[in-house]
Formats: sequence, structure tokens, C-alpha cells
Amino acid sequence: MLMTLIRRELLDNLMTFRFAAAVFITLLLVVANTIVLLKDYEQRLTAYNKAVNESHQELREEKTYSGYAGALIIHRPPNPLSIFNLGLDKQVGNKIEVYHAFIPTMWDAEKHGADNPFLNLFTSIDIVLVFQGVLSLLALIFAYDALAGERERGTLRLVLTHPIQRGYILFAKYISAMLCLLVPLLISLLLSIILLTTSTTMSLRADDFLRIGGIVLTSLLYVSLFYLIGLCISAMTRRTSTALMLCMFVWGVLVLVYPNLILTAVDIVPQPNTQISVYNQIKQMWEEWDRENKRFLRNDAVLGPLSRNGEGWGFRLKGVEYSFAPSEDKPSTLLYFYQTSFYAGKIGAESEPQVPLVQDYYGFYNRETINTVQRTWLVRKPALEAIYIQPANLGRMLLRFSPGGLYDAATEAWAGTDLDGIQDFFSTVQRYRRAVVDYFYDKKIFESRQWFAADKGTADWDALPQFSFHRSDTGINAKRALPDMLLLLTMNVILFTVIMLIFIKSEV
Amino acid sequence: MWHIAKREIYNNLNSLRFALATVLLLGLMLTNAVVHLREHPERVQRYRERVSGHQNHIAAHAESSLYDLAQEGPGNLYKKPSDLRFCAEGGEAFMSDRAQAGYHRWSTDTLKSFWILAYPSATPNRDNVRPDVTKVDWGFIIGYVLSLVALLFTFDSISGERERGTLRLTLSNPIPRHTVLIGKFLGAFISVNIPFILAVLVNLLVISTSSDVHLDAEAWGRLGIIFCVAVLYTCLFLALGMLVSARVQRSAVSLVTLLLVWVVFVVFMPSTLASIAGRSTSSGPTYDFSERSWKLHEELSSDYYSRHYKEPEGSTKRIEIDGAYVTKDAEQQEQLHEERLNRRIAEVHRARAITRISPVTIVQNLIESFAGTGFERHLQFLENVQIYAREFRTFIVDTDNADPESLHIFGVRTGMSQEPVSPEAVPKFEDTLNLSKDFNTAAMELLLLTLFVLVLLSGAYLAFVRVEV
Repeated sequence: MLMTLIRRELLDNLMTFRFAAAVFITLLLVVANTIVLLKDYEQRLTAYNKAVNESHQELREEKTYSGYAGALIIHRPPNPLSIFNLGLDKQVGNKIEVYHAFIPTMWDAEKHGADNPFLNLFTSIDIVLVFQGVLSLLALIFAYDALAGERERGTLRLVLTHPIQRGYILFAKYISAMLCLLVPLLISLLLSIILLTTSTTMSLRADDFLRIGGIVLTSLLYVSLFYLIGLCISAMTRRTSTALMLCMFVWGVLVLVYPNLILTAVDIVPQPNTQISVYNQIKQMWEEWDRENKRFLRNDAVLGPLSRNGEGWGFRLKGVEYSFAPSEDKPSTLLYFYQTSFYAGKIGAESEPQVPLVQDYYGFYNRETINTVQRTWLVRKPALEAIYIQPANLGRMLLRFSPGGLYDAATEAWAGTDLDGIQDFFSTVQRYRRAVVDYFYDKKIFESRQWFAADKGTADWDALPQFSFHRSDTGINAKRALPDMLLLLTMNVILFTVIMLIFIKSEV
Repeated sequence: MWHIAKREIYNNLNSLRFALATVLLLGLMLTNAVVHLREHPERVQRYRERVSGHQNHIAAHAESSLYDLAQEGPGNLYKKPSDLRFCAEGGEAFMSDRAQAGYHRWSTDTLKSFWILAYPSATPNRDNVRPDVTKVDWGFIIGYVLSLVALLFTFDSISGERERGTLRLTLSNPIPRHTVLIGKFLGAFISVNIPFILAVLVNLLVISTSSDVHLDAEAWGRLGIIFCVAVLYTCLFLALGMLVSARVQRSAVSLVTLLLVWVVFVVFMPSTLASIAGRSTSSGPTYDFSERSWKLHEELSSDYYSRHYKEPEGSTKRIEIDGAYVTKDAEQQEQLHEERLNRRIAEVHRARAITRISPVTIVQNLIESFAGTGFERHLQFLENVQIYAREFRTFIVDTDNADPESLHIFGVRTGMSQEPVSPEAVPKFEDTLNLSKDFNTAAMELLLLTLFVLVLLSGAYLAFVRVEV
């Protein structure tokens, strides 16, 4: 009996104009956008590869170890699944320096300077956004007359005269409509995946397909939720035109108005005072470091003070060619440090007795720097979280009150372009910095002659630990997506129960 | 005709959609006003502080000497925030709010590079991991919400009557069809505009009663123009709704068609087209730019050093060579920056030209240009900055010429006037907006919008005249 009902509904839906239109529109938008997004991805990938090669060479050109300041640069590869949900993939910087004098975070990262900043004026779009707008609209269009229409035409009364439970009717309607909605969703996704696999630059791995599967599942939950919202409205209203009108307004509010309105209205600004006080705290730590440093030099009769201007550079070693002082002072990201170092091509013989003392000094200097960095990190990390992460998370929390926000969050988690996914990369970079520092400690590079002089052996960059980044396992993606998906599922179940109650109690 | 219009209005006023539209528009406009009142005074305050900082900067250098002023330049020039920012956000977050007129590059023990005009780019979201949303401004409310409301008011205007059979009844009276159509159009037009006008009035009431925000006569004029643009835009969607409604037998089909057209043209078309346009015209990477800039400078300086040491120290000839080097370098670098800026602007222009297929982009561009925000406004700001830079340089030359002790060789301390300058005499930068200029840039889009409306209206007319009842 259920099968007959489903078949009837299915045939009813498949033969309609709206079904044809639904398939056509979804296909058109998804395919057009996939082509655009694919091209964009390829461009970002080329920029990434080029930048990686350039950084590789730049580092090789440095002869001393201390020259790695500003030359050891890690690049973040574009995420291939950003085609499905762009998330933060383009928003956050993708070029970060690894250096022992600071802990790299996503706020220290810069962007590959390839693009025109004015082009940010145009909003970018991804496949999930298309689904979010179009599929929800289609679900409502499929649902608005499911019950109200039958009631108007009088066929509902006819159906109910048969000895069928009302729940069955509802269930049959739900199943058949979902099957119909699945058609445009799956066909368009299939087409876009075909487009992706034919591209030579895009390489999707097996677990990427699992992630895409997760995105499809989430899409299904999302579409089903909107269908149920439509069905609920249809069950509550007498006339189809009223149902349709209500559906459209509900769609406008949930998809269009709420997400934009809530983030415009709720002003989430962190305390500017915390920023200033933490910044001063960090500055003080570095000043302490500076005092420590000067005390060391005062106690060393041979070296004397390392003055910042003119002659004092390089402790009057003969053969010093140039000196550099990489320093950063960015109050907005709580980044502050300074460094002084120099480069000697060939140290003169008369300065030779001084060299061990300089080496000793740099050993001390770098050790102190790294300790200071650890100390500043203890205050910088929580402060950055309070200033940037917490407001962002609050904003995302508010968005979750609409199904669109839930859908976006869950698919972002699947694609790995959410905040956690981006953080994964930066924590890998942080671990890599630790590995580099450990390597320098192990090989005693900080207190070596090669730190500042290139005459007796130059830096061996190939022995440096290599950086590699792999996106997190699918399991972790699933774990991050699960809460939002469960929430979607719960909303589905609740709505279905509500519709059931309304429908059973309604009079025909 | 009035009879029909009146009937339509009464019909609509009692309907659910009228109530929902009113609530929705009122809520949005009210939020917009409240947010503007919260944010705008802060913005103006910040601008004022920066401008006074800029003036102090000029004063400090002017009091030192003319050379210092000429070498340092006027410093950062700031864009004045528009009082009508609540009408259109205009992507202001993506555009820099300043131009650097004092950009330092190098100094040697005797020479210092002269200032050049550089255009820093804003790096939004770099420190920002917040979700990315459209701000609820008038542009959003009119472009998206009002157009949807207009469609919801007209989708059944003809097909609904045909379904109920009342169309046949109306047409049996001796009224020409176009009168019926115009009457219906007027009725729908008025009933859409009632909630909109109400919402706009509430919005402006809240904003103008606040003491923090002051709107002058010109601002009200601009608001009037924006309102007219909004009304024109509603006409477009009303005409579209009637066209589809006349062509289609059932109102459900009519609405489905309209919604899909709306989703494609309003929601997705602008961004898809923009991405296509943006991708196809990507400018060279910045490191090419810095490489070029470095190479130019290297060439110039190697030429300079070869000539510099031939002349005896302290001779006028040597000072002249020094001065020529510094000024030529500044000229070259400034030209390079300008070239890059122009290339970027040209790209955006191309991308914007393509997105004009979508009516929502047209209307948002129009609102932006009349609200004094957005890309066209940024271009105007840059033009103001360039005019000011010329003015500033002329002032330096004139003042130097007036000093008899100066050698009139620019670029070197010893070649220029050492006298302090009165800070009041230095030209001041004022970022102004010009309504007639805004009109000129918007004229094309205004025409395009009108054209769209006319085409759709005549389409609706033809469809209705030929319709069989």
C-alpha cells in the first residue's frame, strides 16, 4: 500500500513543470560555478607552486644560518574541497614565515600577493551556497501544496476514505518528494565531480570522496528540513496560495534576511583594552630580554656593547659585510620582537680570537630569545583567542539558529575549510618551528660559526627538517561536522512529529 | 482605471503578504538605522582624529624648513566617511581609507628620497576570521528583499484572476485592455510602495532625530534620488511579475518561474559573472611589481653614482646632479604606483561592466554612487588626492621661488629654501563629494535600468493584449 502511495506521489511530482525547472536551474548554476571555481582553484594552486619554488630557492641563497630570517617561508596549499565550501580558505593568509623569534599564527600569515585587492568587492560563491539558496527554495516549492493542494482539490478526502493510516500518507509524500529533490542534487554533484576529475591539476583522493559523501549527506538533511518546513506550513493552511506566500516569506527570512541581519545587528567587538594591555605586557618581556642581553655584553670585556648605529655592528670583527635587524611591531596581532645579526663573508685573521666569544654570545642570545618567545606565547595565545576567535565563534553560533548556518558550518567542517581546519595547518607550522629550533639546538647551530660567517662552511639547508602538511583525517572532519548534522537531524525529527500531530488532528 | 487600481489596492491591503512585507521591511530598516547610529559617530570621530593628526604632521615639518616639508610630503590623506553609509556599505571594508602621500623608500648619508603618492590596499579579513556576510543596508533591502516582495505582489495579478474567472468578467466590460493592465500595475505599485515608504520613513526618522548624525540638504537630495531609483527598480520587478503572470495559465507555475528567474538573476548571477570577469583579467603578482620598482631604482642610481663623483664636492653642478637623481627617482616610482593602480581599476571596470546584466547590481551601483560609498566614490577620492598632490607640489615650487637665498634645486637640502613655512599657508586636503559628478558616472546605469523597465513593461503589455481568456 505504501508503495502505491509513493509511486503515485512520485509520478505526480516528476511530471511537473517545477521538477523540470528544478533540475535545469540546479544543473545550470552548479556547472557554471564549478567551472569558475575550478579555474580559480587552479590559479591559486599555480600561485602556490610558484611561491613554494621561489621560497625554496631563496632559502638556498642564504649562506649563513641566521639568514633564514624571512627566508624560511611556508605556504598553505589551497584546499581542493574549497570548491564545495570556500569557508576561510581564501580569507586567511597563506604565506607564513618560520622563525625562532615568534610563534607563527594565522594572524601573522600574509597572502600571496597575486591578486587585485579591489576584486574582493565582488562576492565569491561556492557549490554549497548554490545548494543553500536553490535547493531550499525548491524544497519549499515542492512542499507548499502537498497537503493544502490535495485538500483544496478534495482528493485528500478521497484518499482518506481508504483504510490507510494518515502517517503512511505523510510518509509516502515525504519519501517521494525527497527522491525528486535528490535527482537535481545528485546529478549536479555528479557533473561537477566529473568536471573536477577531468581537470589535470585537481587530484581528489579516496578520502576526499568520503568527505564529499559527507557533504551530500548534510545537503540531504538540509533539503529535508526545508521540505518539512514547507509541509508544516501546508498542513496548517487551508489554501495553497496562502501556503505558498508563507513559504516564500519563511525562505526569505531564513536564507536571505536572518544571517545578514543578525551579524549586522549584533556587534561583537572584543575589549580593546585587553589588546593594549597584553601588547604592553609582551613589550615588557622583550625589554627585559634586552636588559638581560645588555648585561651579558657589559660583563664581556672583549665584545663590548652592540651598538645599533654605525661602527659597533658585528663587534668590530673584520670582514663583516652587512648587518640586519629583523623586527616586528604589530599591535593589532600582538606581535612584537626584534633581532640583530650580521653577515661576514670572510673574517679577518686578526679578529679570529674574538670569534669564539661571538659564537658564545649568539648561543646565549638565541636561547634567551626562544625562552622569551615561550613566555610571551603564554599571554599572546589566550589574548589572540579572546580577540579574534571568540567573536568569530559567537558569530557562527548566532548563524546556527538558521538551518542555512547549520548547513554551512557542517559542510565547512567536512571540506576542512572551517576554522578548525585552518588551525590544523597553523598548528602544523608551529610544530615545524619547534622542530627547526630543536634541530638548531641539536646541531649546536645557534652557537656555531656558520650562524653569522660564511667562510668556514656554509649553511646546509637540505639537512633541515622538511615541512609537510596533510589535511586532517576524514574521521576528524566527521567528528567536527557531527554536532551540526545531529542538530539538523533533530530539527527534522521534531518537525516531522509536529506535522504528524497537525495532520492527524486536522479535519478534512 | 482608478477604479481597477483602487480595487487592487484594497485587495492587497487586506492580504497576508501585505502584512508580512510590512513587518519584514520595517524590521530591516529599523535595524539598519540602529546599527548606523551605533557605528557612524565612531567612524566620524576616527576620521576627525586622523585629519588633525595629519595637520599636525604638516605643521611640524613646515615649521622646520621648506626642504623638510618638500621631502616628507603631506603624509597620509584620509577618505571622508559618507553620512549616507547606511544606504550602501559599498564594500568600503575592501578599499583602503587612505592614500599615502609620504612614502619613504631609501636614504643615504647625504640624500633622502622624496615623497611619492602611493595607494595602499586594504587587507580586510586578514586579521579576521569572522563569518562573511552582507551588511543589511538599503542596497540589500531594496536589491533583494524589495524585489522579492514585488514579485510576490504580482505573480497572480493576471493568472490568479484567470483562475478564479474574474478576468473574463472584467474584460466583458467596455474597458480597453491596456487600461486594465495599467490599473493593475498602479494598484500593485502603490501597495508595494506603502510598506516600503513606511519603512523608509521610520528609518530616516530614527536617523535624523539622533543628535550624533547630521544630514544636510544635499544628503536629503541624494536620499530622494536613491528613493526614486528604488521605485524604478520595483517597477522592473512588477513588470516582470505581470509579464510572466500574463503568459502563464496557473499562478503556481507563474510563481515558480518568477522565483527561479529571481534566484538566478538576483542571487547568483552577479557573483558568478564577477568571478568569471575577475579571474579572466588577473593582474601581475606584486613581487613582479616590487622587482620592477627595484630595477628602475638600481638603474637610476648606478647612472647617478657614475656621474656624481666626477664633480667636485660642494659644487653647484654636483648639487644639480643629486637633485635630478632624487626627483627623477620619485617621479619614476610614483608613475609605477599609478600604473599599477590604473591597471587594477581597469580590471574592476571590466568586471563591473559584465555584472551589469543583473538588475540588482545596477541598482546597488546606483545606490552606492549616490550614497557616496563604493568603488566610484573611491575613484573620486583618488582623483581628489592626485589633484591635491599637484597643488602641494606647486605650492612648494612657488614658495621656493619666492626665497631669494635658495638655489632652486629640488631634491637636495642645500639646493632648497631653508626658511620655515607658515603651516597656514600650506594647502589643506579636503575630500569632497560632487553630486553632478556622481550623476555623470551613474547616468549610464540609470539609463540601463530605465531601459530594462521599459522593455519589461512593453513585454507585459503585449503579453496581456494577446492573452486569451
